[in-house]
Amino acid sequence: MKPVLTVTRLSKSFGGLSALKEITLAAHPGQIVGIIGPNGAGKTTLFNCLAGLYSPTRGQIRFQDRAVVPEFSEARAHHIRRCAVLFMALGLVWLPLFWSFFLPAAFFKVELVLLGIFILAMRFSLMRGLMRFQMWAWGLMVLFLLSDLFFAVWWLIRLSPSVHLTGTHIPLRCLAWPWAIGAGVFSIYLMIQLFTRQVRQIYGFRQSPDAICQMGMARTFQNIRLFFNLSVLDNVKIGCHARMKAGVWGALFKTRAQREEEAGVEREAMECLRFVGLEKRAFNLAGALAYGEQRRLEIARAMASRPKVLLLDEPAAGMNPRESSQLIRLILDIREKGITVLIIEHDMRVMMSLADYIYALDYGRLIAEGIPDEIRNNAQVIEAYLGGGPSHAPT
Amino acid sequence: MDSLLDQSSLFLQQLVNGITLGGVYALIAVGYTMVYGVIQLINFAHGEIYMLGAFLAYTMVTFLGLPFFAAFILTILICSCFGIILDVIAYRPLRNAPRLAALITAIGMSIFLQNLALMIWGSQIKSYPREILPSIFYQTAWGLGEVTLSWLQVFILAITVVSMAILHLIIHRTRIGTAMRAVSLDKTTSALMGIKVNRVISFTFAIGSAMGGMAGILVGLYYNAIFPTMGYIAGIKAFAAAVLGGIGSVPGAMLGGGVLGIAEVIGAGYVSSEYRDGISYAVMIAVILFKPSGLIGRQIGEKA
Amino acid sequence: MMDLKKMQKNPRFFFLGLVFLALLLPWLPMGGSTNYVIRVLTTAVLYMVLALGLNIVPGFTGLLDLGYVGFYGIGAYTSGLLAIHYNMGLWLILPLAALNGALWGILLGAPTLRLTGDYFAIVTFGFSELVVLVIRNELWLTRGPMGLPGIPPPTLFGHPLTRDWEFFYLILFILLIVLAVVTRLQDSRVGRAWFAIREDEIAAQCCGVNLIRYKVTAFAISASIGAMAGAFYAKWFKFIHPDMFKFWESILILCLIVFGGMGSIAGTMLGALILIPLSEVLRAVLPQSLFSARYLIYGLVLVLMMRWRPEGLIPFERAQARKAWQAKERLGS
Repeated sequence: MKPVLTVTRLSKSFGGLSALKEITLAAHPGQIVGIIGPNGAGKTTLFNCLAGLYSPTRGQIRFQDRAVVPEFSEARAHHIRRCAVLFMALGLVWLPLFWSFFLPAAFFKVELVLLGIFILAMRFSLMRGLMRFQMWAWGLMVLFLLSDLFFAVWWLIRLSPSVHLTGTHIPLRCLAWPWAIGAGVFSIYLMIQLFTRQVRQIYGFRQSPDAICQMGMARTFQNIRLFFNLSVLDNVKIGCHARMKAGVWGALFKTRAQREEEAGVEREAMECLRFVGLEKRAFNLAGALAYGEQRRLEIARAMASRPKVLLLDEPAAGMNPRESSQLIRLILDIREKGITVLIIEHDMRVMMSLADYIYALDYGRLIAEGIPDEIRNNAQVIEAYLGGGPSHAPT
Repeated sequence: MDSLLDQSSLFLQQLVNGITLGGVYALIAVGYTMVYGVIQLINFAHGEIYMLGAFLAYTMVTFLGLPFFAAFILTILICSCFGIILDVIAYRPLRNAPRLAALITAIGMSIFLQNLALMIWGSQIKSYPREILPSIFYQTAWGLGEVTLSWLQVFILAITVVSMAILHLIIHRTRIGTAMRAVSLDKTTSALMGIKVNRVISFTFAIGSAMGGMAGILVGLYYNAIFPTMGYIAGIKAFAAAVLGGIGSVPGAMLGGGVLGIAEVIGAGYVSSEYRDGISYAVMIAVILFKPSGLIGRQIGEKA
Repeated sequence: MMDLKKMQKNPRFFFLGLVFLALLLPWLPMGGSTNYVIRVLTTAVLYMVLALGLNIVPGFTGLLDLGYVGFYGIGAYTSGLLAIHYNMGLWLILPLAALNGALWGILLGAPTLRLTGDYFAIVTFGFSELVVLVIRNELWLTRGPMGLPGIPPPTLFGHPLTRDWEFFYLILFILLIVLAVVTRLQDSRVGRAWFAIREDEIAAQCCGVNLIRYKVTAFAISASIGAMAGAFYAKWFKFIHPDMFKFWESILILCLIVFGGMGSIAGTMLGALILIPLSEVLRAVLPQSLFSARYLIYGLVLVLMMRWRPEGLIPFERAQARKAWQAKERLGS
């Protein structure tokens, strides 16, 4: 069976600190995949990359065979660097022509020289920013190319035949027109190169978290992130947001479509609450709920978007054994609905009873993967995480 | 057609004026950037401390008859204390409140202080009496053809440079400077390391306000006009300078101040003088949109 | 005997009662100062409209907009110029001003709404200052510091509205429209998305809320309401001048919503209803020189409210809790 989620050599670094190194994993439909590891191993960072909150440094994420993060291509990066250098060269070529146009009128203008140097300096810093894959450089580059294009067109149209190159009888047009056409074509070429989706993704224009939610991946958070000042029912209704269509028009004029959609969403939200056992608290404020109830509400909210993959980040944290047994049953029920679950958990009892396959992380690296029994007896995992020798492993 | 010398001398004069103005902006900007560094709050009321400096010195010289340099020193001290009081009564209670609340408080304090000054001193433009400085100050110190540099400008530049140097020494060579840098990186850990965070923050406010007050007096002398709303305009420009250089970075504020001063004077001279203030706003908006970390500043990171 | 319980359960009765009372106001005997009181009330209702408009951005989405007065000014000048040069009626001007406001809201919002809160606040402030600068300097368009006098009054079926109570009804009508818009938006998918953004942006994103789209929508709607208020103001005052749109007005409106309760519609309106007549009382009590410094009080109110009751008079949570309770009663479950 084809995996529903594949992660290939995912790496994420923050400046000098590398949080994830070459993580490769896969989740198959209907599986419950566990992720374990000590604190700081990068588990939540992994979830944040999957959910689209972080832009990975390297690696690929594919969800239902659609690229969430495309492959980072060395060839593409090299190509961008070449474009950046060409952009700088274009600026250097353009500048003398600019000067030669103005100079016949006044031999030496301090301001013009400074302006020219200023523009060259800007282009240079843009080139450097572009090569370091910074988003602001990408944006400004496009603007500069547009202005180059504009200037080129202006030369073509407005340059009168009587203007000569300084101190000669060569009409400037002979030089300017070939240059203008070449510069114009080249600017267009560079802009097309910069607008390809692969390049945009390298510059941080990744799939946004809301697009990922719409594709069918939902998550809960390690520190509960509920909308505390809203009612429980409203929290779940927001979970349905991605599947709804009503906009400002529908809201303002209360069209029939909007009213039906609202009624439908209310029913579905109550359904989700019933699934997690919170229907009696539907009209309380989310902040007033007990801790265990809040965790269940987060799950209800995530379920409301009818995801195909559910990311649960430490759902059993802070629960007593009775509550965690209820949680285990809940997650098994979720699996019954055909949803694939990725779960980060420290509670080994919960993990071992739920997971079909486990990946173990340590310092951002994958140290082991396998079925629960294999993991339990894996020496590296025991040393890094489970503690002591085989005699100390939990049952 | 202007001769080469005429053109370049106009330009150089603008440059000189721009650098002087830039020095003043740098003095104010440093206050903004240091406070933002330690408590991540844009202290809107900082511009008002600058204005207060100008007015306090004016009051002391005109109504109390103090000699100028005594008034100068005294005003700096009072502004310093005022900065500390501002922190203690307005910002410290909201240390753990959401950012929006602190921002609103800062704005509220700024408006309150502006109007307080309006009530106390009235809205008419005042100027320092010319006699308070030795007349040499208004004479040319150095000239090259049409370009002049008055002793007053030299004085302003000298004070700016000296203050920046002292500030640099404080930040990098003293214990409290190190504490300031620590708190700006991570408040909680600094507290765990035994640094008295509140005291460091108060000290930061004290220095920033001292420099702001000093800038107020210098501007009052240079332009010979002070009015209660001067703080608000200069405050925004100085904030633009701080952002341009990189908010949270002191050398950035210095650089940003210089660049903004020059840009404003040149823009006012060559482009349009009515939109003089608009240039600062435009620069600020452009920097915030395209490179929020400024010229020197650290990367504004992501957080989940 | 009116069933109070029924009234509480169905807020519509309560609300209709208030509207009825408001409509009666101009006809209540108040002696010689009737016109003055009506003008004060008109101002109060105008600020209620402005406050409702501003409330959408910091109140619903949690972003601080310091440049609201820019949209107010754009609306006023749009209305004034259209009326003077093209002799347009109010009923055409209002939607046009609203559209212009929305346009500028989108233009300003699209690039800036991805910034963090502090920077966004500063950029909006810069924008409003630029608007005032442009108004002041582009004499060919706006006559700059000479102001724009002689704006013709609005007409209704050919009858020009000149009396104070006519303007009061007009602004009341505008208020009702804006109130309907805001309430309907609040109770819909759009409103929920906004609240989600206010509460927790990251969780909202992971639930499928496209941050930029909803923030820009909020900003544009807020701008269009501000512009509509400005359009009314130009027609009412018949003279506009760049000094009327200083940054301090933005602070005043911010003060109204902070005082009343950011995010709750009732709180916002209550804030305006209390503070605006209060400022008129100040005008009567204080000498002129002190009165121009009345913004001192607004600044102080902001600082004190943030210190002691940042949620305002009618907190957002209470409004939500009440809505939930009403929903529960309605469903009977």
